[in-house]
Amino acid sequence: MNDILDELRESVRQVVEGAGLAATEQAIWPHVTELGWLLVSVPEALDGLGLGTQGAAVLHEELGRGLSSAPFLTAVMAIDAVCHSDLADNSAWAKRLTAGERITVPLVDPDLRIDRNVNGRTVLSGVVAAAQSADEAQHALMWSGSADVVALVSLRQPGVDVKHRATWDRTRRLFDVHLNSVAVDDEFVLATDRAARVLVRRLQALRDFGIAADSIGAAAAILDLTIEHLNTRRQFGRPLALFQALKHRCADLKMRLAAAAALLWDNLARSDDPIGSADATMLAAQAKYLACAAFTGVAEDALQLHGGVGMADEHPCHLFLKRAMLNEHLGTPGDRFEADSADSVIRAATG
Amino acid sequence: MDQSSETLRREVGAWLRDNVPSGWREAMTGTDQASFVRMQCDWFAKLCGAGYATPHWPAEWPGGGRSLAEQKVIFEEIARADAPRLILYFVALYHAACTILDCGTQDQRDRYLPGILSGDIWCQGFSEPNAGSDLASLKTRAERRGDRYVVNGQKTWSTMAQYADRCLLLARTDGSGPPQAGLTYLLLDMRAQGVSVKPISQITGDDEFAEIFFDDVEVPVADRVGEDGQGWRVAQATLASERGLTLVELSQRMRYAIPLLVQTLGDRGRLDDATLRRALGALAAKVDAACALADRYLLKRMAGDEAPGDASLVKLCYSRTLREFTVLGRQISGLEGQYDAGFMRGATQETGNWAVDFMNSYNWSIAGGSDEIQRNIIAERMLGMPREPKTWKLGPGSA
Repeated sequence: MNDILDELRESVRQVVEGAGLAATEQAIWPHVTELGWLLVSVPEALDGLGLGTQGAAVLHEELGRGLSSAPFLTAVMAIDAVCHSDLADNSAWAKRLTAGERITVPLVDPDLRIDRNVNGRTVLSGVVAAAQSADEAQHALMWSGSADVVALVSLRQPGVDVKHRATWDRTRRLFDVHLNSVAVDDEFVLATDRAARVLVRRLQALRDFGIAADSIGAAAAILDLTIEHLNTRRQFGRPLALFQALKHRCADLKMRLAAAAALLWDNLARSDDPIGSADATMLAAQAKYLACAAFTGVAEDALQLHGGVGMADEHPCHLFLKRAMLNEHLGTPGDRFEADSADSVIRAATG
Repeated sequence: MDQSSETLRREVGAWLRDNVPSGWREAMTGTDQASFVRMQCDWFAKLCGAGYATPHWPAEWPGGGRSLAEQKVIFEEIARADAPRLILYFVALYHAACTILDCGTQDQRDRYLPGILSGDIWCQGFSEPNAGSDLASLKTRAERRGDRYVVNGQKTWSTMAQYADRCLLLARTDGSGPPQAGLTYLLLDMRAQGVSVKPISQITGDDEFAEIFFDDVEVPVADRVGEDGQGWRVAQATLASERGLTLVELSQRMRYAIPLLVQTLGDRGRLDDATLRRALGALAAKVDAACALADRYLLKRMAGDEAPGDASLVKLCYSRTLREFTVLGRQISGLEGQYDAGFMRGATQETGNWAVDFMNSYNWSIAGGSDEIQRNIIAERMLGMPREPKTWKLGPGSA
């Protein structure tokens, strides 16, 4: 398995490097679809690569390394959801989505409530925030705040309002999707009640693992750039890298990143089966928490260590910092993770 | 996890459950060194008798011949069972044995290894008052006279030297060339004439370390490991002998000790304090990461994939995480934790006596290659940043 993952990593890295740092969505999306990357976690029985969450993590890491704009995470979340849903035609949906039909998914938990009207149809109202590249999508996957319903909603219908929210991070394009009593036909309901809660936990785990891996890959790239800068920038007759304070700072950043990466891969291995369990969601939130902390830590110091040149927007340093700042606020919020983690630890110690 | 690992884990786990001395932590709190030595001696005999003390030795030795994967399982189970650490015997079992096995003569193996199995205590004689991080600058002299070396000088921070039968001594035989090239490695008899030992009183009240003074101590040439002037190379074998296993064990002990933080929170009536709960939640994630990193390091070693600086990442991560862990304990334990409640002998940094655990955490950020040295290694050998200049020309007005 490790050899296959290494090969995958090598090939993805080549493509992403070839497209250039922070390549546009138009430039990179064709590679995503043509090279079959959307199939990475789809089981072999369904004509996928069958590489599970570890295969997906390799892709997320390499795309993060390149500050890719491709809405890859949202696509694989949607593909996974339809594969594990109660939809009558889920394999048709899977085929469409893996072929590259555009869909969006919120990268934070939606603020949606369900109103059931007299016909028994599910009616949704509220806001689905941080829906990546929603303007390119026909449908959005979403779930209610209570996780009682997971549904696909057509974005081109009355009652749905898609609003672009410009972020400091220009490498992702986020949208708020406003729903005003939008009825969802049964054929678009992926799961309800208990099955919905399981599916939502699964999606949250995939989401958090994806953000974690993205953060690890991007952090590694900006750390490399920073060290290269320190090795080449000369002041006082010597490269900045010779100053021990700066060497030590880089060593600390490397250590934090290595620890976060080790935790991510350890937690991925522990959660592969079953990914929808409460444990897997916690493991993913934990990995995301530390990976984001490591990424923001590296990116913050990277700006300082680049000196003045990093404060000019023609240098890529700020792109990494802004991606780090946004990652921190996507997925499971850090403060909620800390509280949940404490609950879990205290329960285990006193139970 | 392969079948034999699982079987070994169950076997070792079951043996430990039946044999770990119950209440050893309570017994070792506020007790004297003699009781500590007795406890260590008894535990060593048991562990050795069960065949778990020497898994890293070659197969022809009792308890030996285990793979690195199996050694890892044994260390993990020892941590899980909260067994005592064999502080008194660690240098003998690991540093001395590996050095003699890797670099010693057959004669030295025949003479010393059986003694280690029957409980000989060894200490390390490397650091000196003026040679800590800069070990190569050490000055203890070994002068060749006929068929022996005559040793004069002083060593410091030698673990358990006050109980040791023998010493792994790194001494200078040649002061003329580069510092590392003039060192020779000797196996010294601590009962020889001219050896005196002075325990160091630590800030915790414990005395796990000692200074050793050498006054014309004679060491036969037959007790030299490697050739004259090869001491530095032999010492690298000593320093690499425990292979990351200690850090797997210690990081897991730290994880198993998280309930002690919860207990302290409860004792101080602060289980509902949202800020402290979040700090605990955050720390638990970092502890899991430190365990994952130590674990990955062993896996890399087993696969032959270890890269320069990997070991340093693990040690630095453990030491920084341990610092945060013990600082949190110190903060939670409040004023009550500032009353001197004595200390526990033979434990590491997870006793729940947070002031002591915090102070002892410096054993890991300073000893065995300080955090600063680890950062140098990571920056230079892993990140490719330029090395420190070998010499500094200090201008007027600077040191």
